[in-house]
Amino acid sequence: MNQDYLTIALSKGTLLKPTVKLLKEAGMPITGIDEESRAMVFTFEEEGIKYIMCRPTDVPTYVEQGAADLGIVGKDVIVEQGKDVYELLDLEYGYCRFVVAVPKEKENIKLKELNYKRAATKFPVVAENFFRSRGLQVEIIKLHGNVELAPIMGIADMIVDIVSTGRTLKENNLVELVKIMDSTTRLICNRVSYRTKHEKIQPLLKVLKDITKKGGSN
Amino acid sequence: MKNKKIPKGLRDLLPEEVNKKRAIEEKLRKLFVSYGYKEVITPTFEYLEVIETGAGNIREELFLFMDREGGILSLRPEMTVSIARFAATHLEDEEFPQRLYYNANVFRHVQPQLARYREFWQMGIELLGASGVWADSEVISLAVRALREIGIRDFKVSINQIGIFNSLLNDGKLSDEHKERIRYLIESKDLVELSRYLESLEIDDELKETLAKMPVLHGGVEILDKLSYLNKNKGAYAAAQDLLHIYEALKACGIIEHIVIDTGILRGLDYYTGIVFEGYSPDLGYGLLGGGRYDNLLGKFGLDRPATGFALGVDRLALILDGERGEEEFYLVGGSELGKVMQKCEELRAKGYIVEMDVDKRSPEELRKMVETRGNCRLLYID
Repeated sequence: MNQDYLTIALSKGTLLKPTVKLLKEAGMPITGIDEESRAMVFTFEEEGIKYIMCRPTDVPTYVEQGAADLGIVGKDVIVEQGKDVYELLDLEYGYCRFVVAVPKEKENIKLKELNYKRAATKFPVVAENFFRSRGLQVEIIKLHGNVELAPIMGIADMIVDIVSTGRTLKENNLVELVKIMDSTTRLICNRVSYRTKHEKIQPLLKVLKDITKKGGSN
Repeated sequence: MKNKKIPKGLRDLLPEEVNKKRAIEEKLRKLFVSYGYKEVITPTFEYLEVIETGAGNIREELFLFMDREGGILSLRPEMTVSIARFAATHLEDEEFPQRLYYNANVFRHVQPQLARYREFWQMGIELLGASGVWADSEVISLAVRALREIGIRDFKVSINQIGIFNSLLNDGKLSDEHKERIRYLIESKDLVELSRYLESLEIDDELKETLAKMPVLHGGVEILDKLSYLNKNKGAYAAAQDLLHIYEALKACGIIEHIVIDTGILRGLDYYTGIVFEGYSPDLGYGLLGGGRYDNLLGKFGLDRPATGFALGVDRLALILDGERGEEEFYLVGGSELGKVMQKCEELRAKGYIVEMDVDKRSPEELRKMVETRGNCRLLYID
């Protein structure tokens, strides 16, 4: 960990745009940061700020290990990974929800009828915990993307995935059966940075809190 | 293919790494001894019942196995419970306080990564049979001196009184279910969900605000003023007073520059009852030391005495310290007659030199060539 800089891990992809907007509103330097840029590290010497650009799923890892002090990432990623980091603030954008979805023909099926069935998902931890908490035994099939394909091709009876508008589900003839939980973007923090860089983190936290309280940067 | 696997999360230490580790241990040992602490060794594994009596149910983190009589055994996950059992067995008739230290490998079934191994080394002290500000001050001062002694820069020791949180949680207005949920959210550091959950409860607004703020407050004594509900709860108030006294005492001990009050320090284990603390360096994303007061633990083994102590993570200290200087100089002694060569070696060793004997009976030329590539070696050839 570099003591002179406050290092923030940013999620590339759909979260980047609203994140940069929020940082700008918070008075943070943002020159040159966009999806097109190939740079992976942005250093602002004068302000003592460093950003690292990560895949969303890697953000908690960088923060837990202290390579970044703070991270901005979706709650969906945080719950799936269960890393030892502080979750400081709900930034309220990037809304999505975890759902169990089934093929349209089965839209009236009851959750308990899914016992001993197969669920395809990118989020095996969330899926497993959900079914177990309901007392169900479901076989989890871990896939890396396009999970909607699994029921169509007959390797799963349902999927557990994140949806925001529900369009993708509809396009693939799936319907939402149960909502597992909501997810929005969060500010996370390394457990030691929170203590050793308190005087840098605290003011930023306050500004971000005020902005989100006002209704966010959207 | 030969099987070279080692179990996940374990590691071999090479000579340089061992050197570094030993140098740290030696400094700590000297320091602990100078405070009057005496070393003890306890078994590497204990009955599961003993571990659980002290540390509560932490089975997920334990390495468990069985003995042939059907008893369940656990590799020790830390040392304080073993020391408490030890004290209750062997120290019953001794004068208190007793000062003990240990240097031990401990085992936890965690997800391995940098600075988190399944077998790691702890060096620590326990001050048994003493309570109050003076005893707490000695232990915290010793923690500060330990980090200073081994050359950690810019470190901080965060202190808290666990009674503040426990008393607030036991405030009559919270049901068991609420308590459990709040404790879980604080332990998993999910402050977003915590404030939402508190918001949904029908309890005193000031209590809500105080519980929501506690995990993130960090600074000098003034932060306690922000916890307004403290004045409404007797236990929490007394614990906060205790924390203030310690803070003042540490000022008098001359180490206040390293001390921060941090009401978010709760420590994971069940047995803590009073002042707790953790040490951090900006160079590592994990804590370096942790400890605190555990006044009921010895009692669970039948010896009712207060106690406090801490443990340092030796592997983590080694990670952020620079290695010691290069290898030591040594003699390489060769020759044609074993008796003479051996005698010369012993002579030099008696004078305190490190001496390697050339067991391959090399010629003087071969030896000279060898030595040329090693700067720290002096050659002797006995004809």
